[in-house]
Amino acid sequence: MAKLKLAIYWAAGCGGCDVAILDTNEGLLKIAEIADIVLWPVATDHKYEEIEKMADGAIDICLINGGVRNSENEHMTKLLRAKSKIVVAMGACAHQGGIPGLANLFTKETVLNRAYRETPSTENPDGILPVQRFSAQEGELIIPEFYNTVLPTAAVVDVDYFMPGCPPAIHQVAAVVDIIAKGDLPPKGAVIGASDKTLCDECTRPKEDRKVKKFYRPHEIIFDNQKCFLDQGIICLGPATRGGCGNRCTVKSNMPCRGCYGPAPKVHDQGTKFLSALASVIDSNDPAEINSIVSQIADPVGTFYRFGLAASYLRRKRSNEKN
Amino acid sequence: MKKISIDPITRLEGHGKIEIFLNDAGDVENVYFQVPELRGFEKFCEGRPVEEIPRIVTRVCGV
Ligand code: SF4
Ligand code: SF4
Repeated sequence: MAKLKLAIYWAAGCGGCDVAILDTNEGLLKIAEIADIVLWPVATDHKYEEIEKMADGAIDICLINGGVRNSENEHMTKLLRAKSKIVVAMGACAHQGGIPGLANLFTKETVLNRAYRETPSTENPDGILPVQRFSAQEGELIIPEFYNTVLPTAAVVDVDYFMPGCPPAIHQVAAVVDIIAKGDLPPKGAVIGASDKTLCDECTRPKEDRKVKKFYRPHEIIFDNQKCFLDQGIICLGPATRGGCGNRCTVKSNMPCRGCYGPAPKVHDQGTKFLSALASVIDSNDPAEINSIVSQIADPVGTFYRFGLAASYLRRKRSNEKN
Repeated sequence: MKKISIDPITRLEGHGKIEIFLNDAGDVENVYFQVPELRGFEKFCEGRPVEEIPRIVTRVCGV
């Protein structure tokens, strides 16, 4: 079989997805065996120019991690879509907007002001903000336009496959490399590198009757290390989240799930799915009591939509700005 | 003035670009290092419970 041409790109991500690929260790040899890498900024020195010169469809598979935060992310995502036969949105940022999508709770203006003017460690007496075009003595300098709203990859291009996780679990990266090597990809639009169950279905913490009278923050409770978090009133996104991560938080790290594997199968909006799960565990029928129980949850939007705000029905906080 | 762009700079976490301006003699007149990205952790960490911050800021850089 001819070697595949493989591009790996990061848009508005953190590089953790790239490291998840590196963490397959000897799995890298397999990648080198089946593919020639044509772009991978974290590890190789290919330039954007080389991609621009390629014919459309010249790349066999492109793994894009990171969502769309600025005009460069959008341009590169669209460019790689045009040049690639198959595009995989890899990791929570590409799949759902990810953690950077939490910025959709604010406007572009407040984000820029905070980062460049207000933080205690910033010294910027003239209050200078980045400008897209700057005329230096020697010529013009151009940086990308910062958008008001973070978007998942599928909001700007047609995506063939979604590979969840922040980052995707190493065994799942290896599994996806395997199906690519075998040419064994499922129908377009599928979620790959994950399971078709919820995280709760795969979690080994024993579940009992979920009857919650109070929600706790970690400093308010000494919890049972063995039992289900939600049973104990500790917010765990397991019921609304897709499985396949290997329970690396809930079982291996004794930490409640925050939903990085995205919505459970057949669910579009993880946050609303979790709300409905919550409604069924609260042990009260009295509206006033229910209200007081629910009000104990710190930061509902930032917790239920930790990784998925940008791809949710809510998408962002209201704002009159164009993107 | 001639311009050489190195875009992207590679083998590091994040996005960077270098613009090198050469004068008529072909010598380097000036170099600009640009960071064309911002995600805004400075802002969106506000309002998150303190115990959640370690699980959020670990996504500043995964390299
Ligand atoms: S999904 Fe997680 S690991 Fe991957 S780029 Fe986004 S923040 Fe980093
Ligand atoms: S709620 Fe969390 S701890 Fe409980 S079973 Fe589901 S994933 Fe496990």
